[in-house]
Amino acid sequence: MSALLAYAFRWSVVQESFGQLEHGLRITLELSLVALVLSLALGLIVALCRMAQFAPLRLAAYAYIQVFRAVSLYIYVLWVYFGIAGATGINLSPLTAGVIALTILNSAYMAEIYRSALGAVDRGQHEAATSLGFGRVRGFTTVVLPQAIRTAVPSLVNQFVDIVKDSSIVAIIGTMDLMGVTNQLVGFYRAPFELYTLVAFFYLTIVLVISALAAGLERHLQRHLR
Amino acid sequence: MFAYAFDWSVVLEHRHAFLLGAWLDIWVTAISFLLACVLGMAVALLRVSGVRLFRWPAFAYVQLVRGVPLLVFLYWVYFGLAVVLGVAFTGVQAAIIALTLTGSAYTAEIFRAAIGGVDRGQAEAATALGFARRSTFRHVVFPQAIRIALPPLGNTFVGLLKGATLISVIGVADMVFVAQDINLTYFTPFEPFTAVGLILIVLVAIFSLVVTGAERFLRLP
Repeated sequence: MSALLAYAFRWSVVQESFGQLEHGLRITLELSLVALVLSLALGLIVALCRMAQFAPLRLAAYAYIQVFRAVSLYIYVLWVYFGIAGATGINLSPLTAGVIALTILNSAYMAEIYRSALGAVDRGQHEAATSLGFGRVRGFTTVVLPQAIRTAVPSLVNQFVDIVKDSSIVAIIGTMDLMGVTNQLVGFYRAPFELYTLVAFFYLTIVLVISALAAGLERHLQRHLR
Repeated sequence: MFAYAFDWSVVLEHRHAFLLGAWLDIWVTAISFLLACVLGMAVALLRVSGVRLFRWPAFAYVQLVRGVPLLVFLYWVYFGLAVVLGVAFTGVQAAIIALTLTGSAYTAEIFRAAIGGVDRGQAEAATALGFARRSTFRHVVFPQAIRIALPPLGNTFVGLLKGATLISVIGVADMVFVAQDINLTYFTPFEPFTAVGLILIVLVAIFSLVVTGAERFLRLP
């Protein structure tokens, strides 16, 4: 306890850091949103391949999902940023490497979410669409997919929360997102406890805001049931 | 395009270092997971207790911890908490604390759902048979809840193992640290990072088989 009291907290650092953290916040949000949109699209493609009639395509999608769900983001970021750059001579910026790594890893999770959601849509829905004269593609996009997405939203939101939290890892290769800016500020002010506590609350706030927005979205999507 | 000369011998030469690093990741994960299960169970019990004074802090704890990235916890414990408490944590200690904190929020939710997933009638039947509250939980509810909790607990373990690959950022010489060291020594980034990726994939695959086996073993006739 005496050690606790011996430490002089410097919470004034928090106030001085807000400007720079705001900049970091913007990078974090941009990184996460771009990765979200791309992994939503890529995940749907992988899910469709996973459910394809053509066996090699199905197997390839299965392998893709298993491999990328097993790899950690940090190792994958290092692999993309250093490994690929070294092997092919293509130099990616840390931010681009981060977007690629976040997108590919999360698309594997998204694919599984889509697959279970698509599987949960009643077969009769598709059959009804066919009997009403919808083609395969139209029947899928206007009848099956919207219902599947409704089921998938809560899981997709959880995935987005993970993307935001995991995006902090990209700071290790040098992005100036919330985490990167904080590390720099810690080096400058020498107040690790105050600044890491502050950034924890930044992430917590983002996560809570996303959850609140998601609750609203779910209510909106369920309005036809009331 | 492929002017890069692949040299896998650097990986093979250092295979012992990789395996030692992987072993460090595994046991740090295992210890953190066990501690997270204990802490998570305590939080879950507070949450399902009828007492509002206990339920609210437990709920807040889960929300708070789940909203903060593991990397932030690692830095927070290793640099922040260490300064405030005046304790110099070793990297491994800080890693275990951070992983336990993060893991406990997930295990708490899993145990809560599992306890809630056991049919109410089971507890009622135990009470009717004269079981006290404590032994109802220990002998009737808990064994059934564990079976429900096992698959998601397996996922949490894998999540922690993946999280454990981060601990080189606070200086723990795990397998990622070894890979980075090799990259810096030989300027061969592709091979060592591919190697640790493959090691992780194999570890996760083996662990999934173990969990599937455990599920089959515990399944009720």
